[in-house]
Amino acid sequence: MSDPTEKTIFLNALDIDSEVDRQNYLRQACGDDLQLLGSVQSLLGAHGLDQNPLDFPVAVAPSRLDAMRDPVSDATVDSPLTSPVGDIGKTIGSYRLMEQIGEGGFGLVYVAQQDKPVRRKVALKIIKPGTGSSEVLARFDAERQAVAMMDHPNIAQVFDAGVTDDARPYFVMELVRGVPITTFCNQGGLGLRERLELFQDVCAATHHAHQKGVIHRDLKPSNVLVTLHDTRAVAKVIDFGVAKAMGQSLTDQTIYTRLYSMVGTPLYMSPEQASMSGMDVDTRSDIYSLGVMLYELLTGTTPFLRERLDTVGYDEMRRIIREEEPPKPSSRLTTIDKQRGDTIGQSGGAIRSSNAAGAATALERIPNDLDWIVMKAIDKDRSRRYESAAAMAADLKRFLSQEPIEARPPSRLYRLSKFAGRNRVGLITGSLVAFALLVGTATSLYQASRAIDERNKKDIALRDAIAAKNEANQARDEVQRFTERLKRANALMGEARTHEELEQLDAAAATYDEAVDLVPNYYLVWVRRAQLRLREKQWEKAAADFSNAMYLDAPVDAGEWLGVPALLVMTGRYDDYQQICSMLLKPSQQNGQAMDWNAIRGTLASLPEDVSAKWLAERADDLLAAEPPNHRWEMEGERRGGLGRRMEGPRGGPGPRGGPGVPGVRGPAPPRGPGGPEAFRGPEAFGGPDGHGRMHFMPRNVQQFVAAWAHVRANDNDRAIELLDDASQDGRWHGNLQIDSLKAIAHHQAGRNGLAQEFLRRSNDEMQRLESSTESTPIEMRFWVDFVEGVVINREANRVITGTEPDLSSVGSSKR
Amino acid sequence: MMIMKNDVTKILSAIEAGDPMAAGELLPLVYDELRRMAAQKMTREKSGQTLQPTALVHEAFLRLVGSDDRQQWDGRGHFFAAASTAMRRILIESARRRNSDKRGGGQMVRRELNEEDAVFDSVELETLLSLDDALTKLAAEDASLAKLVELRYFTGLTIEQTAEILGVSPRTTKRNWAYARAWLRREIDQEEELLD
Repeated sequence: MSDPTEKTIFLNALDIDSEVDRQNYLRQACGDDLQLLGSVQSLLGAHGLDQNPLDFPVAVAPSRLDAMRDPVSDATVDSPLTSPVGDIGKTIGSYRLMEQIGEGGFGLVYVAQQDKPVRRKVALKIIKPGTGSSEVLARFDAERQAVAMMDHPNIAQVFDAGVTDDARPYFVMELVRGVPITTFCNQGGLGLRERLELFQDVCAATHHAHQKGVIHRDLKPSNVLVTLHDTRAVAKVIDFGVAKAMGQSLTDQTIYTRLYSMVGTPLYMSPEQASMSGMDVDTRSDIYSLGVMLYELLTGTTPFLRERLDTVGYDEMRRIIREEEPPKPSSRLTTIDKQRGDTIGQSGGAIRSSNAAGAATALERIPNDLDWIVMKAIDKDRSRRYESAAAMAADLKRFLSQEPIEARPPSRLYRLSKFAGRNRVGLITGSLVAFALLVGTATSLYQASRAIDERNKKDIALRDAIAAKNEANQARDEVQRFTERLKRANALMGEARTHEELEQLDAAAATYDEAVDLVPNYYLVWVRRAQLRLREKQWEKAAADFSNAMYLDAPVDAGEWLGVPALLVMTGRYDDYQQICSMLLKPSQQNGQAMDWNAIRGTLASLPEDVSAKWLAERADDLLAAEPPNHRWEMEGERRGGLGRRMEGPRGGPGPRGGPGVPGVRGPAPPRGPGGPEAFRGPEAFGGPDGHGRMHFMPRNVQQFVAAWAHVRANDNDRAIELLDDASQDGRWHGNLQIDSLKAIAHHQAGRNGLAQEFLRRSNDEMQRLESSTESTPIEMRFWVDFVEGVVINREANRVITGTEPDLSSVGSSKR
Repeated sequence: MMIMKNDVTKILSAIEAGDPMAAGELLPLVYDELRRMAAQKMTREKSGQTLQPTALVHEAFLRLVGSDDRQQWDGRGHFFAAASTAMRRILIESARRRNSDKRGGGQMVRRELNEEDAVFDSVELETLLSLDDALTKLAAEDASLAKLVELRYFTGLTIEQTAEILGVSPRTTKRNWAYARAWLRREIDQEEELLD
């Protein structure tokens, strides 16, 4: 009970020195209230007791509290602290401790003398006093069985394991007096082959242990010691399984202790170990560590530089290990080479520098294959690493005997999809949390502060509030930054478009480049740049941009994607072509939707293996039958004020715009719009894209051409030629190149060689004419589809009929 | 999130200006910063080290508020008040976790590790926890006494410093401390007797 009276009486009583006077005062002050008297007296009693915890503020001298420990409690868990030095000379089991050779956070390593049954020196690793727990003991017991199973020339043998009287587990191991593998290689000036051979032994040792169910968890150069047996270098891995057996679990030991004491260094630690997410550490963590060691053997440095990890905070360090892509060994070596000039000559330079220089001296160059072997081993995603240490060793062996290795650079698809996925998730969660912030943070923080005096609930509330606030702030910043970038990118795209309209193509290109750099995960910037590159006939670059956009989940059924499948085929990007086809076919294959002309047309460019030509031809016929001839043609044509096209560019030089009488144009002339020639500028031709949106329509004759293409693929040649004849009847679109090339193929397939040759010649002539006419002028957006498609079919015709492909080097070349 | 100096000084000014929400905002910031600093320290100083909460709090003050700016003096009281509460919370959270681990026996409970677990390793868990309980009871009786204890015990301030922050004379602070000290000890002993 605390009331003013009690407090006043207590304080007054304190001022009275004489015990008698004090008692008199108390009796007088408390009067009849015996309860009050009792409580004040107990207060005075408490006041007089020494060792009041309040006298040892935690803030000042925590160690003094040790004196207050109840010696009975937790005696087995927290054994009294003793000085490690005191262990020397002690006997543990039948081992006499001679010399301490190592110390970790909770482990000590001694050289010990064994007398029975054999007389030898051994290494004895024992847990520090006071760091054991029943859990550690239990795990130690389980693990030492496994460790004893290992028997490999490259693994330091474990002779014995036990627990001392004061409950400290220990291991007795073969004493290896060697030097760390990296030091050995650098000091001995070992060449590439020697290094790799030595390292293969380490892989073999690791594989052996893994097969016995033992994971090292702490592979690093100081745990791989090399000794010379006669003249032969022998690597021995020490401490296999010891980390687990003697380590404390994450639940009762801190990350710091693990990172800095037990493990000693995060440099060799796999991302899943560093994340401490509770994910099980498995053999693949060891593979990662092996990869880091190989990296160091090749370059003299670890993938993440020690100097850097030493200077960053813990969270940053974890982030680096989990997220950052280290440079490939070969590029690291280049950097070192450059820096070597700086480090040499600095007296007292770090050993590491000379190591790095040493490695670099030994290895002038790192072959690409080794890059991939290392990078595969240290992949962030453990499922992409080598499945075993043996597999890694096998790849090294293949490399040494100059066979093709298993490791490969990550595919473009993988890299891009990973990138897109990462950013998308970030964005979605980002906006959700940002929204939550707006609604809830103020309230929750207020509540958190109110809850301060409410036990139990308060901690949780506060933690949640802080976490929510932090996350929300980060997410909000992220969203804000992204939005700003997006705004800027949109402005840039507008600017670029203006440049384009003014035919300032270089300026437009530079502006698009900037936009792409700004928001590389926004598909539209890639599409826009691709379109500019199309105009400049930079086919390869355009195809690359379109591919990037595609993997960012661009809507590839949009009108502006028409012709992209053919472009991908033309530029030899078959993987990307397969991908776009599967995206185009998805609606019909997964949801049973009818195929549309775009999908059919794109799929025909090379016909993926898993698509039946017959099926495509049937779909095309269905579509033809479903649509009344010319219906949409007329409607769209009317509405859009004209179907004209500028008769320049690939069609054969300047001519009267949209006017009648252009050679080769048959049928009704495109109506001229009221606005003069400019009215025809409008988007884009027949079956072509509108530049930014969906397909508007596909004219009848283009439909017929597409259907014919499908029938050619299905080897239904007569139907194909019939359709092609129909298609060329209509003068408003005449893909002469496509039509003639397809006819050549159809006749060839039907065995009519004369006709095949004739149409092939015609299509080749047309090809040449187009090439020469477009050589120096930018191509117009609306023609590129016909052009690219024509090239693709013409090539195929030549290949099928003559077995050779025309030399079209100029087509694929870019002007920039 | 990086806490900016600005944020804290702004909040301190707002508290001075009588904004009732501001005090609530200060604690989470200080708490966060202390935890972060403790974590950072541990990465640098390796294991086996224990941190000095006093040093930590003073460093946090320098980081968050700035150097010995006289104008900030009033605000400083609020800062240390928040810091002592935050420090208490951090220590108690850590102690509770480790205590429950010990008692958990064979049954392992997986939980997210917190950085400061190792930091104050040598503080007696039981003492800390029972003191915390007693302190909560004291706060219910007389919040200013509990605050005094928090300031002295969890941030290691002297009587004089505490007096200045609480705005009372050193003599009164001394007497209050004597009372609170005895009161808490009595409370702790009584609890222990009940348990036995």
